[in-house]
Order: sequence, then C-alpha cells, then structure tokens
Amino acid sequence: MTDSGISFRAVSHTYRPPRGQPVLALDRVSLDVREREFLALLGPSGCGKSTLLYLLGGFLPVESGSISVAGRPVAGPGPDRGIVFQNFALYPWKTVRQNILYGLEKQRRPRAEREQRARELIDLVHLDGFEDSFPAQLSGGMKQRVAIARTLAIDPAILLMDEPFGALDAQTRALMHEELLAIIRRAPKTVVFVTHDVREAVYLADRVAVMSARPGRIKEIVETRFPHDRPEEIVRSRDFAEKVDHLWQLVRNEAIIAQGTRAP
Amino acid sequence: MAGMKALRHGLLRWVSILALLAAWEIVARAHVVSAFLLPAFSTVMARLAGDVISGELLPGIGLTLYRALAGFSLAAAAGVAVGILIARSPLARWFLDPLVSIGLPMPKIAFLPVFILWFGVFDTAKILMAAFSAVFPVIVASWAAAEGVERAMLWSALSLGAGRRQLLWEIALPAALPQIFTGLQVALPIALIVEIVSEMAMGGEGIGGTIIMQMRFADSPGVFSGIVAIAVVGSILVKAMELIRRRLLVWHPEAAR
Amino acid sequence: MRAALLRYAPLLLVALAWEAAPRLGLVRPDALPPLSAVAHAWVGLLASGDLVRQGLSSLENLVAGLGLGIVVGVALGILMAWYRPVEMLVNPLVRILYPLPRSALIPVMILWLGLGAASKIASVFLGCLLPVVLSAYNGARGVDQVLVWSALAAGASRRRVLWEVVLPAAMPEILAGVRNALALSFILLVAAEFLIGQRGLGYLISFLGEGGVYDAMFAGVVTVSAVGFFADRLYLMLMGWMLRWRE
Repeated sequence: MTDSGISFRAVSHTYRPPRGQPVLALDRVSLDVREREFLALLGPSGCGKSTLLYLLGGFLPVESGSISVAGRPVAGPGPDRGIVFQNFALYPWKTVRQNILYGLEKQRRPRAEREQRARELIDLVHLDGFEDSFPAQLSGGMKQRVAIARTLAIDPAILLMDEPFGALDAQTRALMHEELLAIIRRAPKTVVFVTHDVREAVYLADRVAVMSARPGRIKEIVETRFPHDRPEEIVRSRDFAEKVDHLWQLVRNEAIIAQGTRAP
Repeated sequence: MAGMKALRHGLLRWVSILALLAAWEIVARAHVVSAFLLPAFSTVMARLAGDVISGELLPGIGLTLYRALAGFSLAAAAGVAVGILIARSPLARWFLDPLVSIGLPMPKIAFLPVFILWFGVFDTAKILMAAFSAVFPVIVASWAAAEGVERAMLWSALSLGAGRRQLLWEIALPAALPQIFTGLQVALPIALIVEIVSEMAMGGEGIGGTIIMQMRFADSPGVFSGIVAIAVVGSILVKAMELIRRRLLVWHPEAAR
Repeated sequence: MRAALLRYAPLLLVALAWEAAPRLGLVRPDALPPLSAVAHAWVGLLASGDLVRQGLSSLENLVAGLGLGIVVGVALGILMAWYRPVEMLVNPLVRILYPLPRSALIPVMILWLGLGAASKIASVFLGCLLPVVLSAYNGARGVDQVLVWSALAAGASRRRVLWEVVLPAAMPEILAGVRNALALSFILLVAAEFLIGQRGLGYLISFLGEGGVYDAMFAGVVTVSAVGFFADRLYLMLMGWMLRWRE
C-alpha cells in the first residue's frame, strides 16, 4: 500500500440495463495493487473483472466504495491510466503512426518530440515499415501492437489491459506475452491485466487475484513471481505447474457457478 | 484470368444495352407505333444535342441541379446534426423518435402544397421541399452510426486526453462517417427527384418545368430528351458520390478489395 | 400500454403546439390553421363525401398499380434468376431504368395514356416494378442450392421447384422489396395526381390549396400522410405474420 499504488476499498457496482432488472456486478471488492506490480484479475466470464478495470480507468462512475490512485480518488479517465482493449479500438481512418501520435497530440507536445516518440514506439513494437498502413491492412497481432504503442506513447504510470490477447490465435498470443514482458522490463509500470486464461495470468503476473462468479468478489490472491528470467524455464518449472493447477481449481468452481447463473 | 472474365462481363453488359438501343431505333423507325408515342432514339439524341448547343437545356438543368443540391446540403447538415443529437441525448431521442418514425414512411411529396403556401412559388419552396424529403434517411443513418460507434474507441480517446468536444469531432464523427455517408448516398437521389417533381407541379424554369411544358405542346421528342437528360444527370450524381466515398473512406476495409 | 403512451407523447405535444401557435399569433393562422380548424374541416370533407370519393379513387389506382407491379415484378425477377435468356433480355432494361427516377416518367405516361386513371396506374406500376424485380431476383438467386438440388433429385419438374421451393425461400427478400415498393407507390400516386389531376386525394389537396381553403387542404395532407404511415405499419405486421416460421 505505497503512496503511488492503487487502492480499491469496498467497491460495488450495479449494472442497470435499459430493460430488465438491475444486476449486482461487483460486491464490495477490496484490493491493493503495489506500484510497478503486474497484477492479473482472473475469473470466469461475467464476474465483473472488466467492470473493475473500467471503474479504475474512470470510464464508469464509482457509486459505492472508493478507488484511489497514488492517494487520490479516481475522478474520470486520465493520461495516468492507459488502457488496451481486446478488440484493439484503433482509429481505422488513421494510419499506424497517426494512431500512435494521437495521445501525444492531445498533450500538445512539440512536433519534433511527437515524431521522435512515435518513431521510438514503432520501433519498440517492431512495426517498422508499417507506419503508413491503415489498421484494416494489419493482422490481429499487429493491430494489438499498435494499440499498445498508442497507449504507451504518453507514458502512463498505470497500464490497464482488458483481455488484450483474447482475439489473437495461440501462437500470436504466446509471442505477444514475451513482447509485453520485454516492454514492461524496459519501462516498468503498474499493470492491471484482466484475463480468464489461467496460464496467461500465472506466466505474466506477479500476483493473481481470483474473482468469484457474479457478483464479483476477490476470492484469493496468489503470488506468481518466478525467479527465472527465460520463458522456457518458467513454464517448465514445477512451481509454475503447481500454481496453474491451484488457480485452475479456484477458477473452475467459479466457472461452473457462472455457467449456471448465466443471464438469459 | 479473372480479369478477362470481368472484361467479358462488362463488355456483355454494354453490348446488351447497345442491342436494346438498336432495337428501340428499329422499332421506332418501322413505325410499329406512331412517332409521337415512340420517337426514334436518334431523333431524341439529336434533339438533346440541339437543345444543349442552343443553350436551352443547360441553364434549366443547372437551375434544377442548384436547387436539388441546395436542398440536399440542408438535409445533410440538419440530418447529421439531428441524428447525432438523438444518439447522445435521451430527451432528444424521446421527443424525436416518434416524429422520425412517423415521418419516414409518409409520402412527403404530399406536403408540396403546404410548402407552396408557406414559401410561395419560387426557389425557396422547392429547395425546402427537397430538403424535407431528403432529411429523414440522413437522420436515421446518422443516428444509427453515432450509436454504433465502439465504446472502446471513445474510452481510449478519453484516456489519451481527449476532451468532450474533441471526442465528437475527432473520434465519433470519423468513426460514424461510413454509415452517415451511406445515408447521404440514399438522400441525394431523393432530393433530385423531389426537386424535379416539384418543378413539374409548379412549372417555371428548370428541367421539370420544361418537360411539362413540352408535354403540353405534345412535343414528344422534347419530353424524351428531357428524360434522358435527367437520367444522365442522376447517374453522374450517383457516380460522383461513389467516387467521393472511395476517396474519403480510403482507409475502409471495403476499399481494400 | 403505458409504454406506448409515453412513446407517442411527443406527438401530443406537437398537436398542442399546432393548436396553440396559430391561436396565440406565433404563426399566421392563414398559413397554419389551428389543429381544431383542420379537424373541423376534415369532418366537413368526410360529411360532404369528398374525402371518401377521392380517397377511393386514389386507393383504386394505388392498388391497381402496386398489385400489377408486384405480380409482374416478382414473376420477372424470379424468371430472370431462373432462366438465363430472360435475364439477358431484361437486364439491360433494368440497368437503364434503375438510375432514372420513375417520377420523371409521369409526363411520358401522360403523353401515352392521356390525363386519366390509366396514366396514374401506369406511373405507379413503373415506379414499383423495379424494386420488386430486384428483390425477387436477389431473393431467388440467394436460395440455398441444396434445397433446389434435393427437390430436383426427388423428381420435381423445374417449374414445380420454382413454385414450391424458390418462391417461398425468396419470400423474405421479396417482402422487403414490396415494402419499399409500397412507399414508392404512395409517392408516385400523389405526384401523378398533382400532375394529372381530375380525381384522387393528391388532386383534392392541390385543388383546395389553389382555392385558398387551407384548413381543408391541411386536412387532406394529414389524411394522406396518415394513410401512408398506417399502410406501412399494417404491411409490417403482415410481413411479420407471413415470416413467422422464420427465426
């Protein structure tokens, strides 16, 4: 609970559809995220993990409980919390470079600085040669790299990721995992990563918070830091397999419950 | 090989159209029906060329086009604004939804006498009539487009520092543009035809009035050449919209074909 | 029930504004008679029999033109999709006529058929024809080939397959095209009645307008608009009922 960390206190959220009954999505969630920590939010579909992320991002109003970042309550979206979505949310009428430049333009940085930074990021995500392509011409993995570059451009202290690799095929996903870790290593950030994939959570995160089926609560938090650096080593270690197994057992029960109470 | 097939297809299309025109010419010249009912294709074209050269036709077409485009521009501006307003404001939606859904299937041409009453028999009535008829498809398309903008796109822009105003102009509008433009493509021919019908009903200059006058004088080649002129103008407008679309939406996946 | 009331409440507001504005002098009462005056004039038209007379005339011509357009259009569209020679013959005609706004053909109809019911019906017919042809064509082309082959394999003649497999399968698309044609038929009928005159609601409206009887004119305009709106709604219900076996 450092000053620059994220703090959730008894956060509840009710989803009110235009027609039908209101549904309690989150039930008094309390959680701390340390600065520069990579935290995964793991849970079955509909457990509210994305909702928690959106509340942190300031896209949904916090009606009950409190969320604070570096000691200050969240009051709306801001450049300190960058977000990456599962379906990329790229601006299709802008080229790769223009997409990445967008946040920099909003910050009114001088032109030379913007161009320089954009070049750095294109380099970072290995998209050289594609600066002037439109998103429609890119593969899924490339699009996600643009989205990540766009978010990182303004150097947010916190990175919010909403199942960012869910729309990618398995091989691309594996490559993206490594790229993401490499990027984080170069410019450390606090990362809150939503996923329903246990292996992905264990591999990427320092800690994994398991959420229950709707209404979402934090069920358990598991440390998943590994001493190894190289991916092959991590994945082969006994520690990894045990953690995955443990977490899968936790999630499995919730997944079964979630299937049963799935809304019509 | 696929290119050859497309070429043959296109060629076949033109050949069949030419065959049709040839048949028209032959039937007309054979006087199967009187020359009054069906003037020969060559006669009509000669008349058309003659009217263009003598300077009689083009000013009329220009006037019609000016009024139709003026009405269309009004419909475009108002329609997009209203459509987006409906998408963003629950109050506007509550108020305007029934009005729009009633207005859409109504034969709006029935309002022509009302517009004449309000605005007289000159340009204004015709322009506003065209605008009134064309605005509904634009509203519906803009509304759907604005509602359909991905939430994630808007949110990412917010977190990158976009203000509310920038969100609308820099993100929402470009994202909605393809669908809005489709609405505009539907609205333009509507504006043109309502304009022409108004001219026919009210007389005066403009291609519609000219055709009606020729009809009264039983000037059959004149009427036919006027219709050919309208068809040509209509096709040009539609083609122009397609070209504009392709340029504006060069980034769209549909353009990648 | 309450939901419907709330949904259409803005119309009540508009009606109130229509009544209040001319009375309060916000708009000139001769340009926009108050709603009550229009309603009164409407009753007058009904009582004098004018509304019914002209309304029936319009209805006759509309139904004739639309009905003809649907029958010929569906037949033509399906035959075009089914028999290649028919397609080759009709296609260029369709291509030439498509960009041409059919209202522009009304003067030609007047030249050919004079000022009377025939030219009105012909105008409506021509206007409705193309959308129906195209939707029937597309609908028939889109029919699942497997359905067709299994019917043919079972020994059905090509004609029977056409009637019993292709036509029903193309129905949704055809019905959508007919809805389009319905809206167009109203527009063409009113336009034709403006230009040809003699009878019909369109003629009535322009006649009243030229005569300066504005409250009755508005009554006529509202009537035509209402008929157009309800026709569309009724058609949607019919369409829903006919397609009820679809998901």
